[in-house]
Order: sequence, then structure tokens, then C-alpha cells
Amino acid sequence: MADDIVVLDHITKRFPRIVANDDISLSIKKGEIYALLGENGAGKSTLMSVLFGLYEPDEGRIIIRGKEVQIHSPREASALNIGMVHQHFKLVSDQSVTENIILGIEPTVKRLGILSRLDMKGARERIRKLSSDYGLDVDPDAKIEDLPVSARQRVEILKMLYRDAEILIFDEPTAVLTPQEIDSLLHVIKALRDGGKTIILITHKLDEIKKVADRCAILCRGKLVGIYDVNSISTQEMASLMVGYEYTDEVNKKNYSGGDTILQVENVTLYNQDKVKVVDDVSFCVHKGEIVSIAGVAGNGQVEVADVVAGMLIPSAGRIVYKGMDITGKSIRERTEEGIAYIPEDRQDVGLLLDCDLAVNLALKSYYHEPYCSRGILKPVEFRKNGEMLIDQYDIRSSEGCSTIVRSMSGGNQQKAIIAREISLDADLYIFVQPTRGLDVGAIKNIQERILALSEEGKAVLLISLELEEIMNLSDTVIVMYNGRIQTVRKRSEVTANEIGYYMMGAKHEA
Amino acid sequence: MKHEGYKKAVVRMLGPGRTQYLRVSLFCIVISLIAGSVLLALLGKNPLEGYVSILQGAGFLPKARYAGHRSMFTDFMSLVNYTTPMIFASLSFAVAMRCGIFNINISGMMLFSGFIASITVGYSSIPAPFAQILVVLIGVISGALSGALVGWLKHRFNANEVVISIMFNYIVSYVISFFIQTMFVDPTTRQSVRVGDNAMLTGVDTMVGDLRMDISYVFPLAVLAVVLIGFMFSKTRIGFELKAVGMNHNASRYAGIRIGRSVIFSMALSGILAGLAGVSYYMGTFGSIQPRVIPTLGFDSIAVALLGNNSPIGCLLASFLVMTISNGTTYMSSRLGVLREIASLITGILLLFSACGGAFKALADRYKEELKSENKKGGSR
Repeated sequence: MADDIVVLDHITKRFPRIVANDDISLSIKKGEIYALLGENGAGKSTLMSVLFGLYEPDEGRIIIRGKEVQIHSPREASALNIGMVHQHFKLVSDQSVTENIILGIEPTVKRLGILSRLDMKGARERIRKLSSDYGLDVDPDAKIEDLPVSARQRVEILKMLYRDAEILIFDEPTAVLTPQEIDSLLHVIKALRDGGKTIILITHKLDEIKKVADRCAILCRGKLVGIYDVNSISTQEMASLMVGYEYTDEVNKKNYSGGDTILQVENVTLYNQDKVKVVDDVSFCVHKGEIVSIAGVAGNGQVEVADVVAGMLIPSAGRIVYKGMDITGKSIRERTEEGIAYIPEDRQDVGLLLDCDLAVNLALKSYYHEPYCSRGILKPVEFRKNGEMLIDQYDIRSSEGCSTIVRSMSGGNQQKAIIAREISLDADLYIFVQPTRGLDVGAIKNIQERILALSEEGKAVLLISLELEEIMNLSDTVIVMYNGRIQTVRKRSEVTANEIGYYMMGAKHEA
Repeated sequence: MKHEGYKKAVVRMLGPGRTQYLRVSLFCIVISLIAGSVLLALLGKNPLEGYVSILQGAGFLPKARYAGHRSMFTDFMSLVNYTTPMIFASLSFAVAMRCGIFNINISGMMLFSGFIASITVGYSSIPAPFAQILVVLIGVISGALSGALVGWLKHRFNANEVVISIMFNYIVSYVISFFIQTMFVDPTTRQSVRVGDNAMLTGVDTMVGDLRMDISYVFPLAVLAVVLIGFMFSKTRIGFELKAVGMNHNASRYAGIRIGRSVIFSMALSGILAGLAGVSYYMGTFGSIQPRVIPTLGFDSIAVALLGNNSPIGCLLASFLVMTISNGTTYMSSRLGVLREIASLITGILLLFSACGGAFKALADRYKEELKSENKKGGSR
């Protein structure tokens, strides 16, 4: 078709153990706003990274303006007038807006015909003009570090426009903005379209798509589910297509019968380093033998709640009560000794010492007391004994057993090592954050069975996961968080996956 | 690929493997010796003769003739005496580095402890063995305090230790020179008044049999420190915690280690070693303090520790190597008739290449990755 500016033809991109994009074909018309919708890990960002030259596809063709092209780098994408605003901005914080925008393509004028000189004045003028054309209000002389997040995003947009981008990719642009800022961004996006630009919007927020997009493609687990005219589909339908399955009730799970309260989180509020409220007045309980899960799209404060309970973060307000005892001010080690085990989200940077061997990592939380250490002297024999036992018991595979440096192990086995260590602590409360992320099907099943077994033994479990299926399979109680607040708390038996998905998008607010 | 053979050679020589650190250190030594040879050859001297004279000067090979009461052994004892502060100083750097802290304050700490020990014990009339023990104790205490202060500032205010350290180097240097020049100056040497022999940690010109030699009383202490620090890192809980903090703050915190305590402890320990370096330097080899000068030995020790891969035994060996060259070049300059500056340039070259070890290692690691990915591409085509 003549007016298709971007055609992705049967794109497949594989990563080890996962197919991120499975035979995806899209065609995007010039001058439309095209939304890519999907859950975390559905393959939206990968697909756009392929278009932007960050990844090369394993199969398939990219056709830009009717010509087949190979895009090996963002620079080449830029030459094809493709621009991208990344989720995490790529700006130099102690330089001015103008300096950031011209970085890499500094305009020069020749003085006396030979000496070239940076043309800051011309650049500044052009930026002024671009910002007034599209309603992007930014002072070209301001320093990036003095600007709020929304203004930094406008700088990123200007950066694309300055490079004459015609195809603009926005990766989750509203994730960092307040509702008012979102409105003004959506206006800008519309203005850009009216100015003849083609916009690709990566998002999982349904209401935004409804507001601005012309068409949307829905991805689910790497596959293209369908392409729809936004006017002809309801948000309800979009949500269920995005989640991708109808929940079936066939888990080997005993019904939770109730028990003593183990953990009480009371009105916890947390501000991050940028003074943004990431957890907002959150309260809930976890009982003996119960699996409570917190569902939500990544970055809605769930992980921070887990960190607060484990002691890694100190809440700005509120209390953590464990077995009737206020532990808000207790250290991480004291909490471990009281019986709180924590499987953190970042298994490589937090859960393990990658440059130490497996034996040490399998005793990372108990290395300091008997039998591993007496009178300050470590006992390698005991580390080894414990290590060999756990390796055997949890089927942790590694090249050299106990003396394997953990960095060289696969992600699945690293995770098994963490879980083995934490379960061996024999705690009363287990906090799992994304325990199965990035693992293969067999490992996922194994870990999920272990979590169920823990609850059957009467342990309290707090599970934080982005996988709706996992949450539906394991939980007794489901909490949904959105923008740092609890959207709803429901018994698993009384709620469907679609409803949860809907709450996760922030579409429905409980009164 | 054009450079594949070259990359393979680099990977084989310096690439990942069991003895990588040792191979990288040896590589640094070898290329600095080659660079030194080129320098000597350019000056029209025989490089081999130059290196032989370095070994003669350091007391490893006999010289052609000796002055009265001197021999190869007395030269070697001087080397030991000069090396002692370097061992302490490089250990000091290594201890902090293992915990992830770049301690560039060693020079300042050395000066501080040397000065405190001089004015308290050095100018007193406390009898010999007690005075010397006191000097060591004062070195330990003043070093521990200044180290802990840096560690505390880093932990409490999240201040950058390099900036604090550099500022402290200046503060210490100027404040002490003020006191020396107003209160303790020797009018003829323009340095601080020489400390009494009762407080010296080196027996200068001690007669042993027919030989007149400098005996470092604290060298055994340096060897003991090497053994203890080695034991601490390999066998003890506190050593494990320091290493864990140095590897990864997040994972250490998660494991329940108190980061602040580890940081302060490792800086205090680093300070103790720097303090011992200070007293063995100022009250061993020199006996007096030059105002407004901070010892370059404190900075050289960084390169020495890096050459020794921050391991205690590595520090010991690297200290001997560097001090051998540094001591021996004095004799070389008189033997071969090259300028003293040229001679010390050779020491400088060694220190320079020692500090580059990490870069060579990174290069080899990168080549290995590149070779791997090239092989993969070749396979899939």
C-alpha cells in the first residue's frame, strides 16, 4: 500500500529460552497514531527495538517508505528519520537543553571559510521554533538537572524532532507522569500527528489508547493477537485480549482455611530518592498458611512494599507488625533471625554475591553463626556440607558443584540457589518477588510447587508477581496495586483474571 | 578477521583463567622492564648492565668493591629497611580496596602518625625499648582514628572518599608544617628536629660483627601484618564481610551485613596500617619531617598494591620489587653515569605499568568476548 510508511513483515526475534517476537507483521500508515498494547514481556519493546536498530531480527523484513532496509544501529534508524523516546531518558544532566539536543549532530558554521565553530545561536533558534510549533514548552538554556520529569521528556521529543524524525516511537511515555502531565503529553502527541508525523505508542494503559490512538495492535507473549480500530473495540475487550487467556480453575491447591495473623502492614507510605510517593498508604495482612499476592504492572510500588517488609527500605510512614511485634525499626538481620525470608526481585545484584562460589551463596544469610562460624573463624567444611545438601535437594545444576562461581551459572539455577537458601532458613514468612521471571517452564513449575508446599506447611507467603497466571494459580488473596495505592483486595475465588487485569490498568477504582 | 591471531595471543597470555592475576602482574613487570631497556638503550647504555647494577645496588648481587664495614648483606638490610613502610602502605591500600574504598589518604595518614609520634615520644627521654613500643602504639592509634574518620564521613554523609582523602592530605600537610615551622624546626636543615635514637624504629649503623648496617625493628611486624591480613581475608567472618561489601553493597545489605560498620572498620584498619607505614617511614628511614611535603610513598603504594592484586602476599612481593628497583637505581646512576632523574624514571615506568594491570586484564577479557561472538556468527552463517 502506498501510504504505509512502516511495514514489519514476519518479524521473529529470539532470545535464549524465549521467543520475544513470534512472526509479527504490522503495517503503519503515514500520519496515524498506532498503539502497541500488551502486558510486561509481551514483546512490545523488543519489536520497537528491532525497528530502532537496537536488535537485529532473526527473521523477517523491515520496509520503510516502500523500501526494504537493514537497520543495524540507532544511528541508521535516525538516518531513516526514525526517533525514539525511551522509558529511561538519555540526557546529560549537567548540560543545557540545547547542548543535549544537538549532542552528536552539532551544527557548525565556518569562520573565514576554514575554522568551524559551534553554531549555538542557530541551534537555539531552531529549538525555539520547534517547541512553539508543537506546543513543547521548554527553555533551551535551562539545565537538565533543574527540569522536572515532564520537561525532560519534552526535551527527548525535541531531540527527535531536531533530527527531522518523521516516525516517532514512544516507549511507555506516561509511566513517569502525573495525570495532568499525561493530558498535556497526549495533546502534544496529537499535535505531532496533525503536523504529519507518524507515531508509535508503546503502552499498557487502555484509557490512553482510547483517547489518542487511531489503531492498535495487541501483543500477547510475543505473538500478535490482532489489529483493531480503536473506535470499534471496547477497553474491556482490549484487556481480555491482552491478558490472553480465559482463566481455568484447575490448580492442585487446597483451600485456605484461615489462621493466625503473621504479618500486618499498616498505612505504609514511602517516598523514593526523587521525593516521589511510590507507596501510598498501603495496609494489608498475611495469615499463617495463606498466600497473599500483589498484582500490578511493573513499577506500581509492589516491589517497594516487599523491600519495606524485608527491611531493605525504611518506610516514610506506617508500621510493619510481625507476629504482633513492631519490626519497623529492626535491621535486616534481626528480621531474618525472627523468621522472615526474602527472595528479591533482582537475583543477581541483591540475592547473590556473583563472584563468590555456590557454597558461600547457599549460606549467605547464616554464614555468621554456628555451625558456619565459630569465634569469628569461618568453617569452609560446614559451608560445603550445607551446599552439597541443598544442591542435591533442590537439583541446582552447576559445572563444579559447591565451588562454582555463581556468575557462571544460568539464571534458573541462580534462582533455585536463592530459593533453596531461603527455604532452608525455615522461616515463618516468605516474601517472593517475581520468583519465576525469565525461567523456563519446568523451573517455573518447580518453584510454584515449592511455594504451594510452603503454604501447606503453614508458612505465610507474600508473592509479588507480574504474571497474572501465576497469581491466579497460587494465591488465596489477591491485592492489586496501581500508582502506589491498593486498588482492591479480593479473595481469589471471587475474582476473575480479566477483572484483575482491569484493575491493574487502573481502569476501575474501588470506592 | 585481520586481528584474530593477535587477539588470540592476548587472550592466551592474559585471558581469564586460574592464574590470570599473576599473569597480568608478570606481564606488567616484563613490559616495564622492556620499556626501561629501551630508555637505557636510547641513552647509549647497555640495558643488561643497567639491570645488573640495579640488583647490585639493592643487595642481590655483589658489587665490585665495598667501603669499610659494608657488604652485599648491608645493602640488602637497607633494602629491607626502605621496603618496610611500603609493605605497610600497600597493605593499607589493599585492605580499603577490598572493601570497595579507594584510600588515597595514605600519605596524609602517614604524615599525621609520624608527626604525632615524633612530638610525643620522639622528643622525650623515655628509655629505648619502651619508647619504640610507644611509637608503634601511637602510629596504630593515630592511624586508626584518622582512617575511621574518613570511613565515618563516607558512610554518614555518603561523601566521596577520594575527595575527602585529597582534602585531608592538604589539611594534614599544611597544619603539620605550621607546627613544625613554629615549634619544632631545626634551623640548619629547615626540617623538624631529628627524633632521639631511643624512639627510632631502625637501628641506624648498628655494628653486627664486622658489619655496619641499618636494622629495621618493625620489619617482622610488617611480615606479621601480611600474615594476619591474609588470614583475616581468607578465614574470618569479618574478612568475608569486608570482601562482600567490596563486591556488592546491595547483596551484602540483603545478607544482613551492616555496610556502615564494615566501611568504618576497613578504613580504621587501613588507617592502622598507614599509621605503621608513617612511623616506620619517619621514625625509621628518616628521623625528621620535611614541612609541606607529603610522602610520595603513600601514592606509590597504590600502584604497588595494584601490582600485587590487592592480596597481602602480593603486596609484600610487589613492595620488594618496586623498592629493589627504586633503591638499586641510585647505584645504577653512579655506575653507568646516567642522571638520577633517569634512574628514578625507571621506577616510575614500573609503577605506571603496574597501575595499568586492570586495563590489560579488561582488554584480554574483551578480546575473549569478541572472539566468542565472532565464532558464533561464523557458525550461524
